[in-house]
Amino acid sequence: MSLVDESFELKELQVLEGHADRVWSVAWKPATGFDGVPAVLASCSGDKTVRVWEQSPSSGSFQCKAVLEETHTRTVRSCAWSPSGKLLATASFDATTAVWEHVGDDYECVSTLEGHENEVKSISWNASGSLLATCGRDKSVWIWEVLPGNEFECVSVLQGHTQDVKMVQWHPNMDILFSCSYDNTIKVWAEDGDDDWHCVQTLAEANNGHTSTVWALSFNATGDKMATCSDDLTLKIWGSDLLTIQSGNGSAPWKHICTLSGYHDRTIFSVHWSREGIIASGAADDAIRLFAEDGDG
Amino acid sequence: MAASSEPNSREDIFDSSLNLEETHLKEGYNEGYADDLVSGEEEGRQVGLKTGFEVGEELGFYRGCIDVWNSAIRVDSNCFSSRVVRSIKQMEELLNKYPISNPEDESVSDVMDSLRLKFRAICATLNVKLEYNGYPKSSDGGNIQF
Repeated sequence: MSLVDESFELKELQVLEGHADRVWSVAWKPATGFDGVPAVLASCSGDKTVRVWEQSPSSGSFQCKAVLEETHTRTVRSCAWSPSGKLLATASFDATTAVWEHVGDDYECVSTLEGHENEVKSISWNASGSLLATCGRDKSVWIWEVLPGNEFECVSVLQGHTQDVKMVQWHPNMDILFSCSYDNTIKVWAEDGDDDWHCVQTLAEANNGHTSTVWALSFNATGDKMATCSDDLTLKIWGSDLLTIQSGNGSAPWKHICTLSGYHDRTIFSVHWSREGIIASGAADDAIRLFAEDGDG
Repeated sequence: MAASSEPNSREDIFDSSLNLEETHLKEGYNEGYADDLVSGEEEGRQVGLKTGFEVGEELGFYRGCIDVWNSAIRVDSNCFSSRVVRSIKQMEELLNKYPISNPEDESVSDVMDSLRLKFRAICATLNVKLEYNGYPKSSDGGNIQF
């Protein structure tokens, strides 16, 4: 039975209060929330802080366990846990990216990555946790390598987008980087051996792409499909040949599969593809919608 | 004799008054051309001097940084990671490639952009806040300090 035949309902469990300004982004800590390990969530805000919330095993409610403050001097725009959950990276409008480590009961800022000329919008760890990508309003995408001792080295600065880069996301199993921007395009970046990163594909309007700012992108569990959302009020599904991606030689081109329109009548800011195959979208029309693929695709 | 010379002199008189507009147009054009030839060259020289100074200053700044980094590497070859050493070398190649004597070479802006990018990447890794105050940043808002 496919997901489409079931009926789903979103139920609000709790409202977490504590931030003094808008909350821009949240991130679930990997390897938590099952097998007896309490779920942990990080949230970042315009109040320049990041809060870490933990679910109480007994009551099921989330409590604020830590406040990461006095580091960023402006809004923290997004946060991302490393795949192991050991590190938390936070991107801020103050042009820096901070990396935090859980030390005892608190979080310590172990590194600050500088380089962007202005607001950093998004960060993403690759699947192995060896690379970190950041992007920002200065139209560039930076790739950093994680070295022992929480040292970070800049591998490459990628120029190509002609406007503010809104989000970066690594492919779930290959070291291929995707970025989406205010310039309406999605770019795919791959390494040609030895730190030589360049754009191998651009998904623009001509390729059935978006006609306005692309705000977010998300991969399905197998990594052969991608969902993107945009200010043009649509969600688009893209696909690529899994075997070609995995073979790693040359890059597998991404093609437009379908466009979901008419569901939101305001900018769609956020999209995420769950492991079980549900696509969730959040838009300025104050609605969250859940999509599932029916048998015919 | 009278018949043939009269039409000529009549033509000449009328010619000059008929072509008044064209004559003055031409005169004005020539005047302007001559004037601008002088002032245009002067202005061009000023722009050339200014641009040349700015480019030279920026390239010199990068040359200085590379020289210091190279000296450090000579003293202790392990002071920087292999990636940084490679980047410095790449930056040096770019610097040498810059067509200093040929301002009309179209690659000047590309080479300069690549140089700036490499410089920022190296500084970011070395965690140094070296900033060349001369070149325009996309976020500039009159914040240049000396």
